[in-house]
Amino acid sequence: MPANNLDPNKWVDRYSDYLFNYTIVRVNNREVANDLISETFLAALKSAKYFKGEASERTWLISILKRKIIDYYRKINSRKGRAEVKINYSDDYNEGEWLEEQVADQFDKTAEDEMENRELGLAILDCLDSINEKHAQIFKRKTIDGVDTEAICNEFNITPSNLWVIIHRARTALAACLEKNWF
Amino acid sequence: MSGKIKFFFIDCSYAAECCNKSQYEEASLLEKAKLMMHLAICKTCRKISAKNSKLTHLVKQSKIEICPEENKQQWREEIKKEFAEDRSQT
Repeated sequence: MPANNLDPNKWVDRYSDYLFNYTIVRVNNREVANDLISETFLAALKSAKYFKGEASERTWLISILKRKIIDYYRKINSRKGRAEVKINYSDDYNEGEWLEEQVADQFDKTAEDEMENRELGLAILDCLDSINEKHAQIFKRKTIDGVDTEAICNEFNITPSNLWVIIHRARTALAACLEKNWF
Repeated sequence: MSGKIKFFFIDCSYAAECCNKSQYEEASLLEKAKLMMHLAICKTCRKISAKNSKLTHLVKQSKIEICPEENKQQWREEIKKEFAEDRSQT
């Protein structure tokens, strides 16, 4: 009996937010991210029999997603390269410049900050995974989606004071977890 | 007089509730005032309150996105379908 079992019907609820944020950091395009995650789930199902149970489900899904992201960049890069060489740099004199244009701008500090913030997002989601599932769900609805109190109370069939107690517990647990893992 | 004073003094759990509400801009003016009074006399709650604000700031800064429910639903169906097919083959 392996240590970790696969439970595909729970994948979307458990991991889709994490996978989505993970992908958005790397491809910066919602539609592409959605496609990649969809492909990842399907590929994971196909290769479910090769899952040995040594890693956690999420780690395993992330490793598949990584391959998908790499494949995506391979595909668009080969396309981009061809188009630019042909259109803009036809003469010998300018040859090679298009390559330089592909290099990241070192002085673009904001991109790096952005990256760190996104990593922070993953750390937060990571911590949310470790707390009570229902609390995490309500916290996400309230804090990230910004849904108002009344709507959440109706959705989960709880009273406002229930809600504030849940929010309090979630925030306390989350703060403790972040303190341990992020700072 | 003592009744009026009591009115403004709240315990830590109520202070925590006010503190959480104010993180979502949902505390009433009275709740905010009571919270301020409490924070003035309670060091533990001051610490917790500072942490709480920091958490709000971090969550905002992180720009976490929750993927839209329609996508999730679509994925759920895809997985269900594939999973059922896999099962029937084996």
